[in-house]
Amino acid sequence: MSAIRLLLVDDESEFLDLMRKRLSRRNVELTVASGGEEALALAATQRFDVIVLDVRMPGMDGLEILERLRSVDHRAEVLLLTGHASVESARKGLELGAFDYLLKPVPINEFLFRIQDACQRSRLRAGRG
Amino acid sequence: MGSLRRLLRSLAGLLRDAPDPAREAALLQAHRERCLNFRVLLAANNRALELMGAMQEALRGPRAFGMDFVRASCTAVSAEVLRMARALCALAPGRYEALLPRHAAIAGRLEALLAPGPPPAPGPLVLPVAALRAADAPRAGGKAAMLGELGTLPGVRVPRGFVVTVSGFAAFMAHQDLRVELERLGQTQAGSGLDGLYSLSAALQQRIVATPLPPALGEALAAGLAELLAAHGPGLRLAVRSSAVGEDAAQTSFAGQYRSELNVHPDSLGDVYRDVVASLYGATAMAYRLGRGLRDEDVPMAVLVLPMVPSLCGGVAYTANPLDAADRTLTVSAVHGLPKAVVDGSDAADTWLLARGPQGPELVRAEHTAQETAYVPGAGEGLERELLDAATAGRPTLEPEAVLRLARLALAVEAHCGGPQDIEWALEPDGEFTLLQARPLGLAAGDGSGAAQAPAAAAPPPAAEGPDGPSVLYRGGVTASSGVGSGPVRVARRPADALGFPEGAVLVAPLALPEWAPLLSRAAALVCERGGVTGHLATVAREFAVPALFACQGAVAALPEGGEVTVDAAAAVILAGRREVAPQSREPRRSPIHGSPVHQALDRAAELVVPLRLLDPQGEGFRPEACATLHDITRFCHEKAVAEMFDPDNALPLPEGAARRLVCGVPMQYWVVDLGGGLARAVDGPTVTLDDIACAPMLALWRGMTAQPWAGPPPVNARGFLSVLAEATANPDLEAAAASRFSERNYFMISKTFCNLHSRFGFHFSIVEAEAGEDPGGNHVSLRFNGGAADRQRRELRARFIAGLLEERGMRVDVTGDALAARAEALAAPRVLELLEVLGYLVIHTRQLDMIMADPVESARRTRAVRDGLLALAGGSPRR
Repeated sequence: MSAIRLLLVDDESEFLDLMRKRLSRRNVELTVASGGEEALALAATQRFDVIVLDVRMPGMDGLEILERLRSVDHRAEVLLLTGHASVESARKGLELGAFDYLLKPVPINEFLFRIQDACQRSRLRAGRG
Repeated sequence: MGSLRRLLRSLAGLLRDAPDPAREAALLQAHRERCLNFRVLLAANNRALELMGAMQEALRGPRAFGMDFVRASCTAVSAEVLRMARALCALAPGRYEALLPRHAAIAGRLEALLAPGPPPAPGPLVLPVAALRAADAPRAGGKAAMLGELGTLPGVRVPRGFVVTVSGFAAFMAHQDLRVELERLGQTQAGSGLDGLYSLSAALQQRIVATPLPPALGEALAAGLAELLAAHGPGLRLAVRSSAVGEDAAQTSFAGQYRSELNVHPDSLGDVYRDVVASLYGATAMAYRLGRGLRDEDVPMAVLVLPMVPSLCGGVAYTANPLDAADRTLTVSAVHGLPKAVVDGSDAADTWLLARGPQGPELVRAEHTAQETAYVPGAGEGLERELLDAATAGRPTLEPEAVLRLARLALAVEAHCGGPQDIEWALEPDGEFTLLQARPLGLAAGDGSGAAQAPAAAAPPPAAEGPDGPSVLYRGGVTASSGVGSGPVRVARRPADALGFPEGAVLVAPLALPEWAPLLSRAAALVCERGGVTGHLATVAREFAVPALFACQGAVAALPEGGEVTVDAAAAVILAGRREVAPQSREPRRSPIHGSPVHQALDRAAELVVPLRLLDPQGEGFRPEACATLHDITRFCHEKAVAEMFDPDNALPLPEGAARRLVCGVPMQYWVVDLGGGLARAVDGPTVTLDDIACAPMLALWRGMTAQPWAGPPPVNARGFLSVLAEATANPDLEAAAASRFSERNYFMISKTFCNLHSRFGFHFSIVEAEAGEDPGGNHVSLRFNGGAADRQRRELRARFIAGLLEERGMRVDVTGDALAARAEALAAPRVLELLEVLGYLVIHTRQLDMIMADPVESARRTRAVRDGLLALAGGSPRR
């Protein structure tokens, strides 16, 4: 499988740094964004297999980005990742079409499995055209 | 919009009429999507069941857990189950959408259960102590409310200040979303063990002290302070003390867990207020709440702001023996200067015992301990430890007359409050007592004989070898909490020594510091060279039923670091080695969390998650609308997904040859579904052979399954057979699905590096799943196994037998009842393949072992055979 094109959106710079380090030796081509506008702009110009959104961010939250993403890039699969476990936001997120909903802290291997599954789905969907 | 089902049907139809590469490709594409959906569903199914198992395990105890666990478990299990439902809807569009509103309804109820209670009714942010009564505890905290109440008693003097109320606290926690931020940190920074607790505690406290006070609260503090300054002048110094709700309740004594700051300069009030609030998240307090099953919102923190009381001496008065509820002897402890040293347990104190005579309290015994130092207010701010002059050090802190006067005050408080009290007091330079706080005394049941009487004679020297024989390492000290505990000695001198404190060790410390409280949930026993039964640590030790022996001078030197000892606290003796003790002197260490708010929250949530009512897939009630719990939905999705994928009666055709029968020369039928890359070459026709398989994990699993022919069902004695019959008729958990034809089949789902074997043999149900790719980080191997026809006890015996074998080979295993889940990850591919052989062997050869588990001879023979069989496999030897 070619490298997974992954966009990671989180307002916590420490988390982005950590992930950059942890994913550097994996089969992942990582792009990061620290907020919704930046993420939407990136998604409009680049193709991603998987987009990981932090649910709770200042300004635009993950669920709102998820809704707006659909009009920009309908192929990328979205994973929601949050430090605020909430049954309700999980339900909303999945109903908005997120591929998965994960709680921080997520073990890096578990995180990667889910990203790989999401990537497979995204590429199958792209293959269908 | 045409459903996938119709699309596939038409594609399949077209395919039959006229083969077309483009259409074939489209069909294959659709098939892969289905396989992915199915794999997602299976993975979510496994995780959902694991999460449910973890919830049940947590409810059963004995481990404590917090609301972050409850919230995260519910959220994760709800998300996994919704993923299953959505995956099923994607597999068979238009057929199961009714699951979604069922899930939404259950999720809504879960969310409501987890929502924090309503915020406290808005009230004043600060209140004067003089206006408080006992009934104000919910808004001012127990300590402040009690202080206001005591102020109404004739002859009782209390400091007059104000309290920052629970409303003030709520305003602070709402400011800049502080509460939400703390919850996030609690979920994301939670590490494991004590080290994780300490680092989380540090992160939470930093966040609190860095958050500014909301303007309204700042103004209220300034106004309260202005009144105190007007009354006391510019020399005013403050005592800022925690007054958390529930802090002083008899059953949950938060003894010493929160900060109190003495001799605070008025300019520092805002900072010190935040420090005291931050102490809600001190490691001591967090460990305590965890151990008690309390939610953060159960303990809102009010804070007392009082003028400092000038204190010649001070201490604690108990109006009963805390070790023996029937013994109403009073105890007064006192030190020179501020009473901090008594409360902290950091110093020896003078002690008086008083009986209740017809005319009031009577002195029974006095013990004077030479004190060298005292805590006094520093010149600018804070406390200093001062060397006492020889004359002061040599004389008792209180005259007998004063002791009696104090005891009468204590009895008046007891009479007013209606129960034994734990009272902190100070003697002012004018010769009058000021009461600093009073709370119900936590009592242990006793026989009233006073045998557990606290202050034994001054500790005798350690008896290295004496009439008791060489095994007595130490004799003496006072019983702070009775009971017997054994373990290796671990000496702790400073808080950093708490890190890495091993489970089950005997904590030995020079001082009885409150900082040791977080260790009590893992300590087998506690031994301190100083401190008495009236200190905070003693209170917590009693509450957690940890045997504790205090005032053991020389114990640190007498006990060998790392050596095994047995502490018999009631007998005040420490023996070498691990001793069996008479059962009556051993107090059970029950989990203190049962029935707590956190336990109840999980219990109620689990009611919506765990019970399985949808048992019979052939029955009328097996419908989405009948799903009442998340487990029901899980069960439904799993059953229907298997049907949608594999049921030959299902109208949906798999693409030509998607499920191929494995030609393999064993009686059982196996089918292979290629998810992509699992076959070495293009295969025509409805069957495959092992030579066609390119999936290394499947081949490894197969090697294990066929390493030895199965010996067939073990001979079952009459009782075993009757048990099977009885179980089969009485146990609805025995999946009736076993009756449906397709579920009798065994499916390998494979890609080049992935394999899932899904098998049901009669009543036995197992899933093996593995990934063995180039990246060890992405590799994993797991087994889920349950069912069987024997009674529950035998099935559990078998589950434990298998668990032992897998643990010996380095897998993580959870056994809940008869269900076993084993997992290992981040392994190099060759190790995954070795473990797959082991799992393959076990899946075949442990079938029906359950039936003979109660027959010692036969089960020993068979289990030995299984062990021998494993050893014959390439990777079958135990390792860690």
